[in-house]
Amino acid sequence: MTIADILAWIEQSAVANAMRGEVEGTEFFFPVIETLHVIFIGVVFGSIFMVDLRLLGLVERANAAARFIRELLPWTWTAFAGAAVTGLLMFIANPTTYWDNTQFRYKFLLIALAGCNMLVFHLGIYRQIDAWNERLPPPTAARAAGLLSIALWSGVIFLGRWVGFTT
Amino acid sequence: MLEELADWIAATDTSVFLQDAEFAVPLSQSLHIIGVAVLFASALMINVRLLGLGSKVRNVSAVMATSLPWMWRALLLCACTGALQTFIEPQRQFATTIYFWKMGLIAVLALLTWWLQRTSRAVGTAWDAQTPPASARSFALLSSLGWTLVIFFGRFIAYV
Repeated sequence: MTIADILAWIEQSAVANAMRGEVEGTEFFFPVIETLHVIFIGVVFGSIFMVDLRLLGLVERANAAARFIRELLPWTWTAFAGAAVTGLLMFIANPTTYWDNTQFRYKFLLIALAGCNMLVFHLGIYRQIDAWNERLPPPTAARAAGLLSIALWSGVIFLGRWVGFTT
Repeated sequence: MLEELADWIAATDTSVFLQDAEFAVPLSQSLHIIGVAVLFASALMINVRLLGLGSKVRNVSAVMATSLPWMWRALLLCACTGALQTFIEPQRQFATTIYFWKMGLIAVLALLTWWLQRTSRAVGTAWDAQTPPASARSFALLSSLGWTLVIFFGRFIAYV
């Protein structure tokens, strides 16, 4: 069984038919799921963006970085789960088309890189956060992680929107 | 008359130039989504805090002081990119009733947010020690529902 077979099998499933609006009453499934995807992305980007701004030392300057980060990250992860589910549903509608799409592939590469950036941050400078909680500006490694995060997630949004123009 | 206005805008040299530039619309839309993201997430953080639903680690006044300025900055980014998209594709936007519903709703929500900002300045830290008044909690519900609808309207301009 090749990947093409799996994609073709997904494409013929009942969920795929409904997501493409081919079953009566499902015409608005795709735009509704797509809108929910935008809402979840909004919370992912909006919350991680505020964390990044704190890492850059630009917001919540009077408050400890750790406190702010711990308050916001549950928002990011919850919304990321929602974006993943709605994104998967959209993928199921036309799996072969998306799989072959260059922008789609680069989008996931950037998400992986954003994940690596997060991992490096958490295993690195974040471990000593008690030492730089109140320091302004925060250490270079933290600022670099914040800046990189904004750039990578902006790239994810750009490629995601571009997928809509190339499929 | 709107149709004529749309046709006139779409025929201007600048609009034609941007219509031909392959990157203009997706790039502007991406910046628009980034604006929507910051605006929506900031609004949600304020609203959830006003309703007393999420983390109570930060005071109401602290959450508003951090998030309100970013709501306005994000709204400005959305207005600029939105205006650009309307300028590039006026016929697509003006042809849908939903576009005008979206604009009207944004105007109402911006006014409500301005009211919250004025009120929050007047009360200072008074809402930190107690539950915010019913007016603030009503605002939180209306704002959350309203911005969600704005996103739905925006996405559905492409479908109706």
